Amino acid sequence: MPESDLYREIQRVADRYPVRRSAIMPALHLAQGKHGWLSPDALREVADALDLSPAYCQAVASFYDMYHLEPVGRHTVEVCTNISCALVGAQQVLEAFEEELGVHAGETTEDGEITLRTIECLGGCGWGTVVAVDHRYREPVKPEDVPGILEELRGG
Amino acid sequence: MSTPELVTVTVDDREIRIPKGTGLIETALACGVEIPVFCYEPRLGAPVGACRMCLCEVEGMPKLQAACTMTAQDALVLRTAQTSEKAAEGQRAILEFILLNHPLDCPDCDKGGECPLQDLTFRWGPGNTRMHFPKRTFDKPIPISPVISLDRERCILCYRCTRFSEGVAEDMQLVARNRGAQSIIATFEDEPYRAHFSGNVTELCPVGALLPATYRFRARPWEIDNVPTVCGLCPVGCNVWATTREGKVARILSRNHPEVDDGWLCDKGRFTFDHLRADDRIKQPLKRVRRRGFDPVAWEEAAEEAARGLGEAEGSVVVAFSGGETNEQAGALARLARQGLGSNAAIVPDDLDPAVDGFRAPLAAIRDAEVCVVLGDEPVVDRAPVVDLWLRAARRAGADVITIHPAGSIGVSPGSAAHVARSLAEPGTAPPEFRELADQLRDTQRVALVWSGDDHDRGRRAAALAAALGLGEGSGLYVLPRTPNGRGVSSAWRAAGEGRGEEPPEDGEIGALIVSGDEAGYDPRVARLSERARFVLTTAMFMGDHTLWSHLVLPGTSYLERDGTVVNLEGRAQRQRRAVDPPFPDELEFFAEVGERLGLPVSPRPDEPSPALQAELPPRSRPGALSEPAPPPSPNGTGPGLELVTYRSLFSGPGVERVEPLAFQRPRAELELSFADADDRGISTGDAVLVVGADGVGRELTARVNRRLRAGVVRVADEHADGFARHVEVGKV
Ligand code: SF4
Ligand code: SF4
Ligand code: FES
Ligand code: FES
Repeated sequence: MPESDLYREIQRVADRYPVRRSAIMPALHLAQGKHGWLSPDALREVADALDLSPAYCQAVASFYDMYHLEPVGRHTVEVCTNISCALVGAQQVLEAFEEELGVHAGETTEDGEITLRTIECLGGCGWGTVVAVDHRYREPVKPEDVPGILEELRGG
Repeated sequence: MSTPELVTVTVDDREIRIPKGTGLIETALACGVEIPVFCYEPRLGAPVGACRMCLCEVEGMPKLQAACTMTAQDALVLRTAQTSEKAAEGQRAILEFILLNHPLDCPDCDKGGECPLQDLTFRWGPGNTRMHFPKRTFDKPIPISPVISLDRERCILCYRCTRFSEGVAEDMQLVARNRGAQSIIATFEDEPYRAHFSGNVTELCPVGALLPATYRFRARPWEIDNVPTVCGLCPVGCNVWATTREGKVARILSRNHPEVDDGWLCDKGRFTFDHLRADDRIKQPLKRVRRRGFDPVAWEEAAEEAARGLGEAEGSVVVAFSGGETNEQAGALARLARQGLGSNAAIVPDDLDPAVDGFRAPLAAIRDAEVCVVLGDEPVVDRAPVVDLWLRAARRAGADVITIHPAGSIGVSPGSAAHVARSLAEPGTAPPEFRELADQLRDTQRVALVWSGDDHDRGRRAAALAAALGLGEGSGLYVLPRTPNGRGVSSAWRAAGEGRGEEPPEDGEIGALIVSGDEAGYDPRVARLSERARFVLTTAMFMGDHTLWSHLVLPGTSYLERDGTVVNLEGRAQRQRRAVDPPFPDELEFFAEVGERLGLPVSPRPDEPSPALQAELPPRSRPGALSEPAPPPSPNGTGPGLELVTYRSLFSGPGVERVEPLAFQRPRAELELSFADADDRGISTGDAVLVVGADGVGRELTARVNRRLRAGVVRVADEHADGFARHVEVGKV
């Protein structure tokens, strides 16, 4: 069984921590980068590399919004629906995306291009609604900005 | 240890002087005040304050505090719900909150009647609910394994179960997924919770969320009896309650003996009871008629036949013990053979050298050791499961736990325990790693030495090492016997005659062979002896190969059907009580009857078993002269291919194999191999591999890469290694 690149990369990261299991977050990120999402097999690989159980890795991954436990599209659109953004109309922004994309939050467009998700506070509360498009923040987003954002994304 | 500082704490106007740092739950109890809790359980490690049931008022703090997370400090003034309206109001609110999504399906919940949530709601909760919205629902119950079911609607997210899985058994298989109100208890994907101690979560859960599937709709608390007894399935001897209903065992619960088991049980001890109702259970005496046929006979006739067969064999009887008998059973059989029939030959398991008892210590002392050394190839968790939990507790408390076997922290070749022990005892000529370890051990005050496997010299090598290291008070030697009561059985055998007697004769005809129990029947040595015996008398619970070569087969009993004494690995004599009556006379009565016919007094109740509910450990015996340990077995030598080490899985054996819900725990047809060997052969976990022994015996097994295993060694559970020699060739299919 040749050791995978992922295994070796995780070891390098883990070496920087006094307790190896503390490297679980970067290790999950590495695995997500390699596999696109944290599939059961990806979680097994992380568990093997850090001498943890797959269940434990899945538990940690499910706690955070940044880890994908379902396959995602090539692009992600993440709408903050936490309290500050909610107060300035995050729900309407989300609905605008749903309408434009023809999917519900948590789903991916049929062509596999764009995944729409809700997300907890992104730390830009003063400029709500905050939307992370492929991890880059757009703020403040109003429902009428949505078509433009998507056009840009599809075009670019 | 220094005496702890005492501080003055006031609980509900009662003052108490108590060691600083005592938990407030315990402090209140010492004042006679109960604070209700759900998540608090000291055996699970540091408190987490998850449920808030224990809210109290602490003078000087503006908000209510979770008492379970605080400790006794000087001048602390605590008001519980009994004297503080604010605290009472807080607790009512918490209960209302906990019940928001609780289905309140008590009438068909198996926890009903013995449920902390029911009890605390009744005593402290609001009388009605203001929740008029639909409650959160889940599919229920879902099996998280064939023996445990989970009802997520009932879960109050106290995290007792996941803390056990992560912080006690350390299997990390049961976890909380998601966060906040969306949290659910789960295993990985749909995989079952497959671990040696999984069943404990059903006792820890304070609600009806995790329940033993085997108890589902079986009984109600007001129609059961709980019989205090001792598990008879391994040499730990965990204290248990056997719950019975209408004369049948319905479940096994722990009965915390803090020195032995700390209230934990393994899954074998918890779930094997259903073997009592196995389909192939033998219920009446059977007499061989044709070559392989049997006819049922009456007890009278069986006793007559036994007396005849044994009487004719006088002077040439061999007894093969299982090691699961009570001391009383073994004593009766030993007196019958040795005093009555003048025969001193026997197969006696676990006849440990008395020198071992010079280093006796309670199992709980392992947790307080500074260094633990585990020697031997048998996995501790398979031979004496709860010892594994004590070792993990020691490691969490900061001990250095050093395991020396092919998959240990010091990897050695199979069968090296005796060599290593000699190196540690006489480090002069030892390899440097053992010299260093020997120095470390000599400089350590509290050492726990665990010997697991390598039974050939009856613990003498282990005792010699303990003596060389000068293990004093606070340290202990734990030689793990192979069988549950081998220690008691061998003492009973010795007491009935002059010393240990003889080994069975190597060749020639044997007058009679008495096979005592199924485990003895499984022993290949016994099967070979039977071929030379004119008369074979077997007591067994189940039909099998071992009964087929008998002339007379008597129904055997289980440890749950006996009354008597058993001796655990520490040397602690504990009382087994009859939880249910066997459906026929037990072995003791039968052999008394046979004895009577032969004119030998073998009273059916020779010794009065101790009445103690929690047995004490006898003091250490004085170190006597240490007899010379047997020379270490010769190393396996280098053969072609990989060296094979086999082990006996906890979930193997005549009783447990008959319990259908435990089938998923049985050892897999799997070959463990080291990373290096897997890499060389291009094998990954899950691949099919062909394993070929020196004699050409080939078998397909599934590979599992074990990064801890030493290169050049492969490991297989013994029931999948039948017919393999010590070296095997392994290749990908
Ligand atoms: S399943 Fe039981 S023990 Fe586990 S968190 Fe829920 S209530 Fe607590
Ligand atoms: S550890 Fe041994 S004594 Fe304890 S429950 Fe398991 S089999 Fe029984
Ligand atoms: S609430 Fe949306 S960024 Fe903080
Ligand atoms: S018992 Fe104190 S918070 Fe749960």
